[in-house]
Amino acid sequence: MGKMKETILNPIFKGNPITVLVLGICSSLAVTVELKGAFVMALSVIAVTGLSSLVCSLLRKTIPNRVRIIVQLVVVALMVILVDQFLKAFEATYAIDKQLSVYIGLIITNCIVMGRIEAFALGNKPLPSLFDGVANGAGYGMILIIVAFFRELLGSGTLFGFRIIPQALYDAGYVNNGLMILPPMARIILGCIIWAHRSIDKDLQEK
Amino acid sequence: MNTNSNVYTVIYTTVVCVLVAAVLAFVSQSLKSRQADNEKAETISQILTAAQFGEKEHWQEIGNAKTIEFFKENINGENTRIYSTSDLKALNYKIKDGIVKSEELPRYVFNNGIVVLPVYGAGLWGPVWGYIAIADDYKTVTGAYFDHASETPGLGGKIKDDPAFRAQFAGKKVIYDGNGPLSIIKGGAPAGMENAVDAITGATMTSKGLHEAIATWLNAYKDYIEDAREVGEAIVTIVNGIEKSGTNAQEE
Repeated sequence: MGKMKETILNPIFKGNPITVLVLGICSSLAVTVELKGAFVMALSVIAVTGLSSLVCSLLRKTIPNRVRIIVQLVVVALMVILVDQFLKAFEATYAIDKQLSVYIGLIITNCIVMGRIEAFALGNKPLPSLFDGVANGAGYGMILIIVAFFRELLGSGTLFGFRIIPQALYDAGYVNNGLMILPPMARIILGCIIWAHRSIDKDLQEK
Repeated sequence: MNTNSNVYTVIYTTVVCVLVAAVLAFVSQSLKSRQADNEKAETISQILTAAQFGEKEHWQEIGNAKTIEFFKENINGENTRIYSTSDLKALNYKIKDGIVKSEELPRYVFNNGIVVLPVYGAGLWGPVWGYIAIADDYKTVTGAYFDHASETPGLGGKIKDDPAFRAQFAGKKVIYDGNGPLSIIKGGAPAGMENAVDAITGATMTSKGLHEAIATWLNAYKDYIEDAREVGEAIVTIVNGIEKSGTNAQEE
């Protein structure tokens, strides 16, 4: 049981895919302008990483080694399209999918999905692989939401679309930081998070 | 079994591809009608939002069925076809080629006299489209709603997400002059210009694309709008005439 707990907690903190493995950087820059987008993206990635790892783990003994990347890619693409199709089909999630449209496709290229299949799912049983996928998606999503929190608050003065910074402050001369809306700022915030993470967890510091 | 032999590899990949394709085809076919319903309801809610029957969130709250019902109760005429964005895209090509007459273009006329006209064009990253509601004088804009496929959230995405941008359109006028029909001007529309609104800061290309879309489509509607204005003026003249002759008759 201790091993299972490790499988689930490690990707969220000590082995976080973004801050430690530095995977999935590209999409974390693109989708963190607003919290809503980051949040739905996080949920979709969790679904895709979990399901892809599960399926690839089930197939792991049959996949020919020379074409394994292609087979994995087909499985991941299938999951991404399925998530997209189902989101579109239900009334409750249709609006969310409209918000996600461009980002959904980006999940296919997310290094975390392929990375976890290669590193974990191909060598482990289906159930641990499912948990590993979900936990890695969650670790990714957590960073996404932290970055989006700062970017939306400082860049637009809102959170989840609700105005947080009062109008009085704007009247007094406060201006939204336009740089926050642009991708480079996501990288700087990400750098700050990695810095904070490594100062707390000394094991991660390189000698 | 030797999973590394050529024969196995070829057969395995073929089977995987066929299976995946089958799953996708099946899911796509079985969800198609639901997706089309959602898209139709979305289009209707955008039209209703432009026509100022309620805010966009309102239609999301009451759900698809009630939104469509409300639309049917308030639209003038039966069997009003709803043009999807792909229909608009096809029409946009026709307009650009100059092979479309303004009668053929979609218009949604409501019982209260509001006419909603769609616009469609290219933004920065993908298509932008929207709906412009015009009062029964065929001149005064009463509202607008815009949407996009892939503009940058927080920048170009504001054409949809920023209510302040949409709100600018209410009260403006469609005027076919050197500035118009209805312009989006970078750096801010000059005070007093009736047919222009301010562009979005930081989203020059999206604003420009939307400006082009509105110009292209409203120019395509020019004949229809001008005819409707003439008819409207003629009716006003006739009504005035009748009133005048009526009072004359009483005087005699």
